[in-house]
Amino acid sequence: MLIQEEMDIQEKLRILSDAAKYDVSCSSSGVARKGKKGTIGNTLAAGICHSFAADGRCISLLKILFTNQCIHDCRYCINRRSNDVVRTRFTPEEVCTLTIEFYRRNYIEGLFLSSGILHSPDYTMEQIYETLYRLRNEYHFNGYVHVKAIPGADPGLVERVGFLTDRMSVNLELPTAEGLRRLAPGKTREKILMPMRQIQRGIAAQNLRALSDSKGSGGNVRRHLQDSSQTGRNFQNQWWDHQRQSAGTLDIRNRPSAGKREIGMADTIAHPGRNVWTSFQSQNRRFFVPAGQSTQIIVGATPESDYHMIRVAEALYQNYDLKRVFYSAFVRVNDDSLLPELPGGPPLLREHRLYQADWLLRFYGFGAEELLSEEKPNFNILLDPKCDWALRHLEWFPVEVNRADYGTLLRVPGLGVKSARRILAARKSAALDFPDLKKLGVVLKRAMYFLTCSGKMMVPVRMDENFITSQLIGVEHGKVWDIENHDSYRQLSLFDDCQVTALVSREDTVSALTGTL
Amino acid sequence: MTVFVCGQEVEEIWCGIYDAWMSRLGHENVRIEPEGRDRELFCEYREVAAEEWKAEKVTKSIRKKLSEELYEVVYRAALSEDADRADKIYRFLIYAFAMGTNVMDQLQIPAVYEVFRMTRYLSREYSHVIEFARFSRMEEGVLLSRIKPKNDVLVLVSMHFADRLSGENWILYDCKRKKAAVHQADRGWIIVRADSAQWQERLNKKTDEETYEGLWRTFHKAIAITQRTNLKCQQNMLPLRFRPYMTEFNKV
Repeated sequence: MLIQEEMDIQEKLRILSDAAKYDVSCSSSGVARKGKKGTIGNTLAAGICHSFAADGRCISLLKILFTNQCIHDCRYCINRRSNDVVRTRFTPEEVCTLTIEFYRRNYIEGLFLSSGILHSPDYTMEQIYETLYRLRNEYHFNGYVHVKAIPGADPGLVERVGFLTDRMSVNLELPTAEGLRRLAPGKTREKILMPMRQIQRGIAAQNLRALSDSKGSGGNVRRHLQDSSQTGRNFQNQWWDHQRQSAGTLDIRNRPSAGKREIGMADTIAHPGRNVWTSFQSQNRRFFVPAGQSTQIIVGATPESDYHMIRVAEALYQNYDLKRVFYSAFVRVNDDSLLPELPGGPPLLREHRLYQADWLLRFYGFGAEELLSEEKPNFNILLDPKCDWALRHLEWFPVEVNRADYGTLLRVPGLGVKSARRILAARKSAALDFPDLKKLGVVLKRAMYFLTCSGKMMVPVRMDENFITSQLIGVEHGKVWDIENHDSYRQLSLFDDCQVTALVSREDTVSALTGTL
Repeated sequence: MTVFVCGQEVEEIWCGIYDAWMSRLGHENVRIEPEGRDRELFCEYREVAAEEWKAEKVTKSIRKKLSEELYEVVYRAALSEDADRADKIYRFLIYAFAMGTNVMDQLQIPAVYEVFRMTRYLSREYSHVIEFARFSRMEEGVLLSRIKPKNDVLVLVSMHFADRLSGENWILYDCKRKKAAVHQADRGWIIVRADSAQWQERLNKKTDEETYEGLWRTFHKAIAITQRTNLKCQQNMLPLRFRPYMTEFNKV
């Protein structure tokens, strides 16, 4: 394959960003680093999106491939060996200059560097290392960097890159080893998981070092870790104890991994709004992958169900301590007989539901088993996963706002991490009512069916699955039914499925016409 | 009812609050209003003289008797675009001094909620501005960015960029309020009035940016996946009002 190196930089950028765009991850979050004299840039824990492309996805990093030349022949990939596309590559200087000049103009938050495999994994990783080394040490770039670890590259190289970057990721691509074998013949599950494990161990070792180091930021870190692991665990325990006591039937296997991991490890699952990595910053030391690692799964290229996907994601969060799993709706870029036809375009709704479920796993203390099961392997199209779960567990509702604990509040549809925390803070001084909840940011159109304030519901609601489902679906479709003018009965219309079993009698017709009952 | 009329700058708001509070007329008998409002019958109007010592006394007592965090909250509220912010901060401070430092938790109280709402709006706009501000390089190597925020976030935005681009000379120009933050490399920054003709001439100088602006437009276009085009989503995330000041949406 001929690699065109003597190409206009504009054309190179067009080709290599176009080839990189199917990678989803664009977050610049997870590490807070102040600016330093003599360098350019800082990072914010929350990350910054600098622009939005025409597909509505955020642009926060300069997302490019180092080269779109590749030795692999993955069926789904635009850069596969057998495709006839123009091949080119950047030089390390070009990447550095672009990054610095874009950053200076506030176009981007940093660099996202991925690559096709040029010659060999080691050679590619070396090129990436050289680029990052120059960017950090010659161009004094202090902003955010996200790189891909190339599966199969020398672990020593991966480690060296890890000290220069903020986030590292290895793409899992397909959730099963079988799918991988079929669509990506050059890759194996083991090869992908190896660098992932290495990065995880590196981060864990660093945490332990920080724990044993009692000076300076070490104390901070320890407090942070203890604090986070305890709150995370307590909250899970509470919820599950509560459920077991009240239900008595619950299977202990369903319990999320609370207590499985060692104390002191970063417990990022089910632990809202706090960040462990940020506390590792200091001015004179570089840290190993301080913003954690992430991965990506393609949705809809292979026949796996949603249940399968979130089980994989959950396992990755628990066993590999990933920061994020990204889901990428499959876009059919190659005409290949092994790839599914997608007449309706990429499965965007499915991707959306998976992200919603992902948040439930990470911040709301849900387990994958609770959301889906072998019998019900896919998400509801009309309802978000949390509403769906709540409707199947109406026995837990309604929840009393002024007394329920944090874990229980988080399970209420329409309540999020922020609003649940605000409720905890606000109810210390006064009993809350529905108008107050609205001020606290609770989405009442969903939450109203599941909450009581001082023992009262917002409107009289029948705790009936069908009734609430139809209401919520109505909400979702924007058909707002003014429930306050009716009591808990459902309005009849010609076209909805009211499940009317009795035949309409003559008296019914007369009373409907005259309005007398 | 006695109405205290004060200016819109942060210090003037502190002075208004000081005068209203120290008039000893009772909180329910006083009100703070911005200049230029229609006057009402049966109200006594007093002009607030802006003096440094008043502002200092107010900020000092908030920071000492309440907390630094609450001072930051009211400072941000004072930068809001809400015309009644002075009076709203006044009502809030009555509660704050009565209830202590965790008053921000009690959003069910209308006065607290108003301040919360103002600061939330301001913080959201602040994060939008640090996302969407675009610099371009003028001839002498100075980076220039024009912003037009609804709330007066220039100070906050400048703090952000002073940390981020500490080694650059840059100017952030607020088109709405006609003031600018000027940063000198490795020194610091100041806010200056920029409504003079000299300033306007300087701001309208041509920038020498074709290469990188072109590259950025190319990138912005190439990174979108055509099969997923969703302009509505794009507009939700990036409102139209920011676009006239953004490189990638300016047609060449």
